[in-house]
Order: sequence, then C-alpha cells, then structure tokens
Amino acid sequence: MESHANEILLRWIVLVPLLGAAANGLLNRRLPKQVSGLLACGAVGVSFALSIVVFLRLAGMPVAERFLSDTVTTWIGFGRLQVDLAFALDPLNAVMALVVTGVGFLIHVYSLGYMAHDAGFQRFFAYLNLFIFAMMTLVLGENLLMLFVGWEGVGLCSYLLISFWFNDEANAAAGKKAFIVNRIGDFGFLLGMFLIGVTVLPHLGAGEGLLSFRVLQHHAGALAPAATAICLLLFLGATGKSAQIPLFIWLPDAMAGPTPVSALIHAATMVTAGVYMVARMNFLFVLSPAAMNVVAIVGAATAIFAATIALTQNDIKKVLAYSTVSQLGYMMLACGVGAFAVGIFHVMTHAFFKALLFLGSGSVIHAMSNEQDMRVMGGLRKKLPVTWWTFLVGTLALAGIFPLAGFFSKDEILWKAFSSGNQVLWAIGFVAAGLTAFYMMRLLVLTFFGENRASPEVKHHIHESPLTMTLPLVVLAVLSLVGGWVGIPHFMGGGAHFEQWLEPVFAGGHHVVEAAHGAADAAHGAAADAVHHDTTMEWILAGASLAWGILGLLLGWLVYARRLGVAEGARRLAGGFPYRLLEHKYYVDEAYEATFIRPGYRLSKTVLWKWIDAGLIDGILVNGSALVVAVVGSVVRLFQNGMVRFYAWSITVGVTVFVLYLCFSG
Amino acid sequence: METILFWLCGALMVLGGVMTVTQRSAVISAVWLIFAFVCAAGIFAILDAPFVAIMQVLVYVGAIMVLFLFVIMMLQGPVLDNEKRRLLKLPLWPAVAIPPVAVLVLVGGWIRRTGTRDFGGTVPEGFGQPAAVAELLLGRYLLAFELVSIVLLVAIVGALAIGKEARKLPWK
Amino acid sequence: MEVTLTHYLVLATLLFLTGMTGFVVRRNAIVMLMCVELMLCAVNIVFVAFSRLHGDGGGHVFVLMNFAVAAAEAAIGLAILVEIFRRRRTVDVDDLKALME
Repeated sequence: MESHANEILLRWIVLVPLLGAAANGLLNRRLPKQVSGLLACGAVGVSFALSIVVFLRLAGMPVAERFLSDTVTTWIGFGRLQVDLAFALDPLNAVMALVVTGVGFLIHVYSLGYMAHDAGFQRFFAYLNLFIFAMMTLVLGENLLMLFVGWEGVGLCSYLLISFWFNDEANAAAGKKAFIVNRIGDFGFLLGMFLIGVTVLPHLGAGEGLLSFRVLQHHAGALAPAATAICLLLFLGATGKSAQIPLFIWLPDAMAGPTPVSALIHAATMVTAGVYMVARMNFLFVLSPAAMNVVAIVGAATAIFAATIALTQNDIKKVLAYSTVSQLGYMMLACGVGAFAVGIFHVMTHAFFKALLFLGSGSVIHAMSNEQDMRVMGGLRKKLPVTWWTFLVGTLALAGIFPLAGFFSKDEILWKAFSSGNQVLWAIGFVAAGLTAFYMMRLLVLTFFGENRASPEVKHHIHESPLTMTLPLVVLAVLSLVGGWVGIPHFMGGGAHFEQWLEPVFAGGHHVVEAAHGAADAAHGAAADAVHHDTTMEWILAGASLAWGILGLLLGWLVYARRLGVAEGARRLAGGFPYRLLEHKYYVDEAYEATFIRPGYRLSKTVLWKWIDAGLIDGILVNGSALVVAVVGSVVRLFQNGMVRFYAWSITVGVTVFVLYLCFSG
Repeated sequence: METILFWLCGALMVLGGVMTVTQRSAVISAVWLIFAFVCAAGIFAILDAPFVAIMQVLVYVGAIMVLFLFVIMMLQGPVLDNEKRRLLKLPLWPAVAIPPVAVLVLVGGWIRRTGTRDFGGTVPEGFGQPAAVAELLLGRYLLAFELVSIVLLVAIVGALAIGKEARKLPWK
Repeated sequence: MEVTLTHYLVLATLLFLTGMTGFVVRRNAIVMLMCVELMLCAVNIVFVAFSRLHGDGGGHVFVLMNFAVAAAEAAIGLAILVEIFRRRRTVDVDDLKALME
C-alpha cells in the first residue's frame, strides 16, 4: 500500500475511456467528427499512457511484491459477504492492459480513416470507447465479480458493434447470435462463480473480499474438493467468450461488424478474455487435472477444427475469423497443459499480428468498395503497397516463420504440449500449424497476386488507404516482427523474459499444487526440469515446426499461384463430400438448428405460447386482474365525489380508526 | 408560577383555536390564529424551549401568518369575508363529531387508567438555548438541516412556477 | 395541581382536534390551510414536551423542521389558492369539484 499515486491511476485507466464514451454517446451528432474522433482516440491514448506508467512502476518493484491495488469502495457489504469495487495490477494483467490499450489505441486511429464517411461515426466511437472501458474493467478487476462485470460489458459492446449497421437484417441477426451464444457461456461462468462463493464463504476470515483473486488463491485448498466442477463451469464461460468448441459458432458471424471491430474485439482483445480468465484462475485449474485435460483437448480440437474450415472459406474476413478461432484454440491448449505464461504470450503476439491482418483486410475491403469475396480480388500487390507489405508480415507471423512473433509463441505452445507428455495434442497442434500456413498463403495469393478479377468500375476505385489507416498497419507490422523477441526461449540463448515476468503470478498455482498433492509431484516437477535441460528435442521440434510452416506456405503458393489443379482435384475428392463438409463448416450451425433451436421453437410455440402465455398469463393474470380492478373501481367510484371536505372527513375517520386499533391491539 | 402560566396560555390557546375555526371572516380567523400562536410560544417558553418560542413568534406570526393575511387581502371579495351558506347541513354534524369525540373519550380513558406522567428530573445546563439547538442542527441533524433547505428551495421554485402566468413560463 | 406531561399532551390533543374539525367543516380554503397550521402547532407542542421529558434537544430540532415544512406548505398552498382564485373567482372548496370527473 506504499504507492498511493499509482494506485489511484488504475481507476483512471478504466474511467477515462468511459468518459470518452459518455461524451461521444451523449452528444452524438452534435459533436463534429474531428472532435469526436479526437476525443475517443485521446481517451484511449491517455489510458495507454497511464498503463505504461503503472507498468513501469510495477516493473520497478521487487519481483515478489509486484502488486498494485486501488480500492474505490466496498461494493457489496453484507456481513461476511464482502465484495470490493476495486482494481489491481499484477504482472499478468499489466501485460493484458498494455495490449488492450495499445492495440486498442492503434485501432481507434485506424477507425478514424475507415469510418470517416459513416453516418454513425460518433456512435461508433462511443461504442468503441465503451468497449475499452469494459475490457479494462475485465482485465484490471480485483475480484471475479468485477471481471464478470467487464465480461458482460464487452459482450454488450460486442453485440452493439456487430450489429452496428443494424439496417441490414443479417447484421442484427449476427449480433443476436453472438449475444445469445455468449449468454450460454456466461450462465456457466455465473454458476461457477456461485459455486466458488458457496464453497469458500465458510473459510473466509474477517475483512477478506469474497471473490478477490488473492483471497481465493489463499484459500485454494478449501476450494480443492469442488475444483473440477468450478473449473468446468468457468471454462464453459471461456468457451463462449473465446469461441471454443462447442460455442465458437458466433465468432465467424460476428464479422458482420465493421472491420476495426473485428480486429479489436473479435481478434485482439475480447475473445482472449476467456484465456485471460483461465490464466487468472490458474491456481484453481491446476488443482483439477480433469479440468485441465478438458481445456487442453478442447483447445487442440478447436485449433484443428477451425483451421480445416478456414481452408475453404471465400470471404476474406471469414478466413481470418476461423483462423482466430484456431489460434484461440492454441492458447487454450497452452493453458490446458499448464503453460499459462505461454498462453498469455500467444495472446499478446496474436493480438499484434491478427489485429494487423484484420486491419489489412479492412484496408483491402476499403479499397475494393466493400467487397469481401476473395474470388473477385487479386493483384492488389502493386496498388496497395503498404497494405501488401504489412499483410505479408502478418501472414508470416501467423504462419510461425522465424523470427517473427508467431514463431516464438506458437512453438513454445507446441513444445509445452509435447514436453508435458501430451504427444497427441502436440501432433494435432502441429498439423493445424501447417494448415494455418497453407490457408494464409491461399488468402495472400487470392488477394494480392494474379490478375484483378473485380468489375472495371471497382477496379477504377482501388486506392491505397489514408495515413490514419496505414500508420497503425506499419506499427502493428513492426510489433508482429519484433513482438516475439521478449520471449525467446532459453535454448536459443534468449532470456524467456516474458515467462519470467509472469512467473510470480503462476508460481502461486504451482505452490497450491504442491500443497495439495504433497511431495509426490515435486519429484515429477524435478523430472520435468530435467527434460527441460535437454535442449536437443527443443531444437528438433522448433526446426520441424519452422520447416512445416514453410512447407505449408510453399504448398499454398504452388496450389493457388501456380494453379496446379490440385485445388480442383481436392474439391472433387471422394465425391466432393469432404470439401462440402468443410465449406459448410461441418454443418455445426445446421446441427444446432436441428437439435436445440427447432425443438426450442416448437416448445415455445406449443407449450409456452399457447398454454402459458395465452392461457395462464393473458387469460387469468392479465384479464383477471383487470376484471378485479374494474369491479373494485365501480364500488370505489362512489367515494370519488369531488367534495374536498368529504375527503378530509374520510381521512379523519381513517386516522381515528387506526389510532383506536393501535390502542386496543397492543 | 409555571402552573399559572400553563393554565393561562393553554386556555387562551384553546380559545384562539376554537375562535379560528368558528369565525366567519377569514381575516378575524387569521387574527385569532395569531393569538393562538403567541400563546403557543408561551407554552414553549414554559417547557424550557426559549429558542423555539422565539422562532415560533418570528416564523409563524412574523412570516407565515403575515403571508396569510397578505393573501386574504389580495383576494378580497365578498365571498371571503362573509360565508352566506351554512357550514354544514344539520344531519352531517354527528358524522363530523364522531372522530374527535372518539379520540377524546379514548384519551380520557387512557389517563384514567394510567394516571398522569410527571416530567421528573431536571434538564441539562443550557437546554433549549440557541447554542444547544445550533449544535444539534449543525451536528447530529446536519443532513436533515440541509434537506430542509432543499425543501424550502423547492417550495420557492414551486410557488414561483405556480404563481407565474402559464404562458410566461420559460419552458413553454 | 402540578402541571405534568399529560397536561401538555391533552392540550395538544385538544388543539389538534380543533384544527381537524375545522378543516372538515370550513369551506374557505384559506381557513382550511390555517387549520392545518393549527394542527402542526399542536404536534410541535408534543415534540417540545417530550424533548423536555427526555432532556434531549432533538425535539426542538424537529420543531424547527416543522416550521420549515409549514412555511413551505403555506407558500405552495397559498400560491395554488391565488391561482385558483384567478381562474374561478372563488376559494370555496364546495365550488371546486373538478376532481370528481
């Protein structure tokens, strides 16, 4: 508690974007576009600057004491049930705060150019700022409830921004889909939170906040019996927000929103909230090997599942969306094998290069007069030089080519999966990595190489984007290039600074495990360390994944740029069934439609509507109560005679009767 | 001394109240009411509440009743000074009388059963003096004090808004 | 006979009942308002008497609050009456029956 100035800053990191949102939202059209944009970017810029300040402050502290907190007030004070309205900063969310505000700032600047001609300019920036506010609440919240508030807040902003152009029915439907699918996950989250509360409440000491992360970590032992149930419920929430199987279906549809939104919310920040939450609750997850396995398997399955779908999509943003789902799977995989720090590392690098790719695709779409179908693109390399070069960097980073950001984080994840003994998961991740390289090359070729296939009119309008859009691209490209260097692993002679930075947060989890499982695991840990020291395997795997990535790129180049006819062949393979399966995204939407939505519809129509709504509610409750009121009214009417003195007299009689009652009743 | 003052003030006050209610002229009613209020100030003085007594005279007599008289004069008309109609038709009197009589009977019975209650003990030094009341107003009851100021402010605004001619209101 | 708390309470009751009855029987709205003032004054006497009983000045504070309420009520009430008089040329409540419909 020795650093009061910086503690206060935490709340301002969160509040400044809210002020920006309020200014933009309340004044709306009355605000000139320049002022509105400046306000919104300024708010996030201030937030980013403050994040840097507190980050430096944190970095200057001794490793064991790296923790800043800012308690605004007690939110819920109810006997022993106490929840604070508080923010806290530790190495984990310091990273997240920097990524969110930093990438957020760049995307705000980009939006200045992208949305310049939109009628809802001010509304857009109001939502965007509101999103940053909610996301920072999520990230900086000191307890699970604050996290949940931010969680719901970003969900709301996501909904608002997906259906930003709500005049189009499809956009509104996509927004609703995102919201409803997320509600399913949130329900699990909420139940998990309740379960935590109920389990830990009897063990709380005086003055300990019920859902505070630090307190929960301290009482992790008490939570151990319920850990599996809690973790699975929380993870259900994470599958919703981070678009994992089975709740990933909303994310591709969410591309209906403006492209900066896809970049900010549905690639760089919000969708990683699930990963952040799992990492945040690491001390609980490590207590439950079963839950960890579920996380890892779901993550790996999602990674390959989405990667295969991405192979066949023709909409440039859909490809990137499925790629995002796939990469989120990687992050979950990392968390599932206990490598939380690596998961967060991938969150960061992914935020850089996926934001870059989305913004680049936005630049392409902008140039192509809002065309998103890659089949009518092509040959844009010459016309959009900045976009092309930055896009190339992003692609290479995503494909995991040395020494770009994606290489280090993805390779670390695969290594951790391998070294933790999950060779099957490693193999799945490895295959998915090759697929990633392949579909990204396909995207690159279809968009930037060959002849332009657009109509002459569109062709005529193709132009490089304005500076406000290209500048963020360049900055993000640089970050994608060098962003991985903070986490160069030991065996390559790097310092693995990123992991060391996060060490204090995740070390606690390991202590919990040791306390719970005794010394048996300590021996296992030593064995794992021993494996760690043998770097040959690491070299081999890193080399293999690099070669695999390059091979994927090369294949993509051969198939799509050289037109070897392989693509046509693949399409007709085995009667065309595999291709159609992928093109229709494994018919997951259709399956949900048949299993959940239609029966739900039928239930609503027959039972809920006909009987309960029309019969019970309308018939008995609504009309019945109206009837009662009518009858009573016709009697009471007699007293309503307009004689003021009669009213006064009624009051005196009433009061007298009341006084008499009081005297004789007691 | 106290006893004499109580009976004097009490009797005169009841007289003032009854006259207020029974006088047909509103002006005379108001004057009787002023009389009753001055007596109430006397009652307060006997009850060791000198500050309240003074405020009673200042606020009620000096401000509120003056306001009443002012309005009566402003609205002067035959209707006000002489009520030509009877107050109530005869059959209604019992109905009006029942509640007060019931309460009086109740109070009488209560006193008969439980006897009277003495004040007993002495009050603390400086009780009811302006200083003591001020300390409470600005200490324990500060919030209530501030809220009352809001009530008064609202009343001022409300009175102005009602009093102004409708079409001249700024928001119309 | 010594004056006790009960005496004051009875006095207050009498005044309150007088005001209450007056409020019911009088037809002149201004006098009705005066009756309300009389009732408030009776309540004030109760407050001061109990304040004296407990030796606690809180009752005095509430009397002052009551003054403010009475003043506000008089100001608003009279303003309404003036407005009614302007429109209807009367303050006789029996002539003001707009509430009936």
